Amino acid sequence: MSVAIKANRLTPYLFLAPAGIILIIALLYPIGYMVYASFLDWSPSQRIGQAEFIGLRNYINLMSDEAFRESFWVTIRFAAVVVTLEMALGVGLALLLDRNIPGMAVLRTVFILPMMIAPIVVGLMWRYMYHPTVGIFNRTLKDMGLEGIPWLSDSTWSFIAVVIADVWQWTPFIFILALAAMQSLPRSALEAAEIDGASEWQKIILIKLPLMMPVLIVTLLLRLIDAFKVLEVILVLTNGGPGLSTEILALRIFRTAQEFQELGEAAAMSNVLLMLLMAITIGMFAYNRVQEARAARQRAIAEKGDD
Amino acid sequence: MLSYLKTTVCAAAGLAMAATSAIADPYADYSGETLVVNFPAHPHFDAVMKVLPEFTKETGINVEVDQLQYLKMRERQTLELTKNKGDYDLIAYVVFSKADYVYADQLENLARYFMNPKLADPNFDAEDLIDGYVANIGVAGGKKGYLPGPTGSLFGLPFGSETSILGYRKDIFEKHDLKVPETYDELLELACLIPELEPGMGGLASRAASGHHASHAFLLHLAPLGGRIFDDEWNPIVDNEAGVKAAEALKKIVNCGAEGSKTFGFAEAGASFLQGNSAMFLDSTVFAGQVNNPDKSKVVGKIGWAPHPVGVRAGSQTGGFGIGIPKNAPNKDAAFLLMQWLTSKKADKLIALAGGNPSRYSTHSDPEVNEKFPHMETFGEALKNADPDWRPIIPVWGKINADLGTTLSKIIVDDFPIQESLEGVSVRTRALMDEAGYYTWTQ
Repeated sequence: MSVAIKANRLTPYLFLAPAGIILIIALLYPIGYMVYASFLDWSPSQRIGQAEFIGLRNYINLMSDEAFRESFWVTIRFAAVVVTLEMALGVGLALLLDRNIPGMAVLRTVFILPMMIAPIVVGLMWRYMYHPTVGIFNRTLKDMGLEGIPWLSDSTWSFIAVVIADVWQWTPFIFILALAAMQSLPRSALEAAEIDGASEWQKIILIKLPLMMPVLIVTLLLRLIDAFKVLEVILVLTNGGPGLSTEILALRIFRTAQEFQELGEAAAMSNVLLMLLMAITIGMFAYNRVQEARAARQRAIAEKGDD
Repeated sequence: MLSYLKTTVCAAAGLAMAATSAIADPYADYSGETLVVNFPAHPHFDAVMKVLPEFTKETGINVEVDQLQYLKMRERQTLELTKNKGDYDLIAYVVFSKADYVYADQLENLARYFMNPKLADPNFDAEDLIDGYVANIGVAGGKKGYLPGPTGSLFGLPFGSETSILGYRKDIFEKHDLKVPETYDELLELACLIPELEPGMGGLASRAASGHHASHAFLLHLAPLGGRIFDDEWNPIVDNEAGVKAAEALKKIVNCGAEGSKTFGFAEAGASFLQGNSAMFLDSTVFAGQVNNPDKSKVVGKIGWAPHPVGVRAGSQTGGFGIGIPKNAPNKDAAFLLMQWLTSKKADKLIALAGGNPSRYSTHSDPEVNEKFPHMETFGEALKNADPDWRPIIPVWGKINADLGTTLSKIIVDDFPIQESLEGVSVRTRALMDEAGYYTWTQ
């Protein structure tokens, strides 16, 4: 290979190198910093260089910390419940609204409004709605002669309350992506199914959902990652209580750094959360690859059928 | 010759006058300087802002104030105090920051300023400062590290400090011929009697929300009922008889409280009282400024005040803010002059008249202040019981506080057994204290 050809091949990499280096530093430096901090006994009143190196002690402490363990399980439960509900509702709504009827454009815009509201505002809004005396829910229940619900002062109800608020805000995200995926499906496959006499339900189960699966998996992943990190809404709504019933990991990390002034321990918690999310992401990408291959095969079969 | 003599005498007189005025005016050397101070957004400091121009007028020293929400203030200070040269000359700090700042050697020891004859005002009258406040917010290194004692030093002065006080609805008490509670038995009895006498009204509005609020409310009852978080050897004793009684008291108060009281923080408990949904309110004196504000209160003119009821001992809350000079402050001497001026008798009264919290006994008994704010005299009496050991001010307190607060929330909301739950707090507290090295000399 001549020197000129070699140089030509290298040119794009040389152009990309500065941006690539900046990107790698910007991505990896903070993570490296966080990993390093997790091995320190570090309070904000010290510079990082003054902090004592304590090895794995922060991680060992986490394992014996009941509050951390409780927060960990609350996070898993919260993420599992909200993402399941949001996926079911979001995809369901997309299936329902994937048709050309008058006013649909306005309806779609209205559906995505909750996503546009700042999480702190969502928290405040729902806090007022859950208010025991003046909140809309309990006022309505009382007008109907029923008992009010202890939305935020009961461990079970407060968990339900934060789930409702999250589902209200983030179902539109699933809806909008599911709808986009649905509208980009090959019409020919659906028409062929119709000709073959497939019912609406069969078209959903056998054609639409399998073809949408790669998009839905990415959507699920994005939402799952976000559900593990939700903070502001819960901070405002319940502040993690009653007890620790709604204290998710992100809130525990915030408290550990902000209230307890233990930056090393907060960094260790963040790393645990990061590792958990990485494991989920890797698992889901692997699964997605399988699904994409299957969808590609189905598309190919569908397109072959067109011929 | 005569003219020479006249000139000489005039010159000498001029020099003498200049020298005298330099001695008479301790602020002269700093006139024209600008001090940067960091204050919280808080009713006391809003009052201070009204009085500050007086300082500049009197001294020629300008003051630039960076006023922040108090959690943000703490965050900013944490960054500022670790710098080699900071931006702030004077900071207000919340009481539990004392432990962190002094331990990290970030606050000036005030002894060398009060020893400096050019800076220290002989009429400052430090004995007039409220003892409990000074001990709580200013002293470190003494007994237990945060209480006065032979090894203690002064690192700050109380400024915006608070104690607990009982507010009650005079009209409700008169209507049912009720006696204002002086003891804990009376308080707890009334807390549950009032909802029976006035259906729909809570007895005592209290904080109970998970975490800091529940812990704070518990501590309000713990000291008067004879308890502490630690004994003198740092053994956690929160699960002893007094601790259990304090938790029972809190649970009873919340159960007899207004609807939704299990989620009340300070603001919600206050709002319940101001909206007329609760007959009593036991918390910080800072609240008093709002009760006669018709924009916020439906109970204007209906509130009476009484000292925090007594259990086996008198022990009301100490908390709020103090002011100190950062170690890395650019203008420390001038900052001390401002600090001294702000906490002087004159400024304390001006700030009180503007709606702030006085730090001096004399201000609480001042006729002009009492005429404008009649409750101030009762507060002055109550302050004699301000307990500086009401809560431990140690660096690990944040974590213990959170654990205690969430455990109490479980006791209140989910009926967790009190004794067992507090024993759990004790065990976890001991582990935290052990890790922090508190038992190094006793094991």
